[in-house]
Amino acid sequence: MKKVAEVAGKRLTLSNLGKDLYPSYGFTKADILEYYRRISPYILPHLKGRALTLKRYPEGVEKEFFFEKRCPSYRPSWVKTAEIPQKDGERMTVCLVNDLNTLVWVENLASLELHVPLARADSPETPDSVVFDLDPGDGADILDCARVALILRELLSPLKLDSRVKTSGQKGLHVYVPLNRKETTFADTKRFSKAVAEVLERNYPDLVTAKMAKEQRKKRVFINWSQNDAAKTMVCVYSLRARAKPFVSFPLAWEELEKLARQGDPEKLQVLHSAALSRTEKEGDLFREVLRKKQKLPYL
Amino acid sequence: MKKQRSVRLPPALSAHGQNEASGQGIWSGTISFSLVAIPVQLVKAVEPGRVSFRLLHRKDYSPLSRRMFCPKEEKIVPPDEIVRGYEIGPDKYIVITDEELESVSPERSRTIEIVEFIDTADVDPLYYDHPYYLVPAKGGEKAYRLLVEVMRRTAKAGLAKFVLGEREYLVALKSTQGALSLITLHYSEEILSDEEIAPGGGPIEPEEKARLKKIIKEMTADFNPDKYADERRAKLVNLLKKKAKHHAPVEAPALEEEEGEGPVDLIAALEESMRKVKRDRR
Repeated sequence: MKKVAEVAGKRLTLSNLGKDLYPSYGFTKADILEYYRRISPYILPHLKGRALTLKRYPEGVEKEFFFEKRCPSYRPSWVKTAEIPQKDGERMTVCLVNDLNTLVWVENLASLELHVPLARADSPETPDSVVFDLDPGDGADILDCARVALILRELLSPLKLDSRVKTSGQKGLHVYVPLNRKETTFADTKRFSKAVAEVLERNYPDLVTAKMAKEQRKKRVFINWSQNDAAKTMVCVYSLRARAKPFVSFPLAWEELEKLARQGDPEKLQVLHSAALSRTEKEGDLFREVLRKKQKLPYL
Repeated sequence: MKKQRSVRLPPALSAHGQNEASGQGIWSGTISFSLVAIPVQLVKAVEPGRVSFRLLHRKDYSPLSRRMFCPKEEKIVPPDEIVRGYEIGPDKYIVITDEELESVSPERSRTIEIVEFIDTADVDPLYYDHPYYLVPAKGGEKAYRLLVEVMRRTAKAGLAKFVLGEREYLVALKSTQGALSLITLHYSEEILSDEEIAPGGGPIEPEEKARLKKIIKEMTADFNPDKYADERRAKLVNLLKKKAKHHAPVEAPALEEEEGEGPVDLIAALEESMRKVKRDRR
């Protein structure tokens, strides 16, 4: 089934709208496009100016997917792109999702998940936040991540660092410390996040590990500080995730996380597409400060 | 996400250097002049055959990285303590900031604006800097073919200004076997004077001229670059292939886990904060 849509004056041919891409839940490509259309006022500021990594699921979440870092050459002429220098000195053309048209086009390619770097394409060496990617190992769950996130927030607050948290939409949580200073480098954010992860590991050895090794991660939360790297990407806030159900990587207020952690039901920390829409439409963008707040990493 | 450390032959040893035929270019935009506009992508035209090596630490094969070293303090200087200086004399510099540098850099542009057409033969190859191909983007094929054909017949090249990366280049657009090539040119001020290179002296005898002409005529051939190859490179590639086949490659240790402690003051501040967190949580 094909349909020509007109979004903000641009014509787009949308394909396979009836295809169910979340078959065990029932969520078609048309539903996905509608989700991203409605979430667009909230997600676009977080995608804007960043090199998008597409994660495409042409046959749905149960079948094969592939990453695409280069912006496809058959893109419409109005898709904004940037040239990213590569390690080998060559340049790579990447898509910038700066507007609704591009978001709709990208979703028509079944890129259910949207991943972006911590830096913008015009300053690829300047991260605008530090991220703590909390990833539960075997035998640990999102509630353990919540404990770590809450400790992390308290740990950073005397250092005058405000932080925000979102669900990964999978099993973990992502804690962001906004910086938004052009002097920051990935070397800084990596040193900082590693030092924090190691202090947490030393003080909570049964709960936290700062080491990548699988064995160390059992029953612990792995703080993946190495995500603070120009070559790495994080799933964008408000992106859908390719799981059995269309869960969203969604921001939570700290008070809410405290409450949910006390309730002790890991399922309640997952936010579905429908809740994501109704909550943002009511509460606005809880992650807005991540793009705005200026903070400086101390002691570096 | 573990760093890949799989055994991998250098690209030079695997397939022949492939151009990205699918048309993922270094740059994309439009060739324009008069009323013509042709959407194109810029791709590389040469793949230098140099075999390059990484420098490793002999004792454990860790790849080495470069650091900036201050001989006066005898220590490594972090990036935030580094500025650019233009040397105007011994120990005298003019400091230039990133902002100042940016203020003189050209705006990024999406067009290659042809300003004039010149005779291809008029451009001395001394001016040639680096060649690329231009690939027509969707919808541009017809106009592209037309331009290639007419430039070939008239032996003309288009002269254009073109911004790539931080620099504005003078470029020549030429027809090369059915394709458009773009060659960045040196600006004339970059070409060193040939004065004092051509030796003076009296007139040359006509017989001598005739003799040399004859020799050249006898040695004249069609230009066939396939006849020549970089022999050292071929031998080196063979050697590497043989070694890769018979010896397991050495492996560098994983490095992410092995860096030293973090900044002392930061650790101290974090530990201090940690004590408070633990107290409050009790």
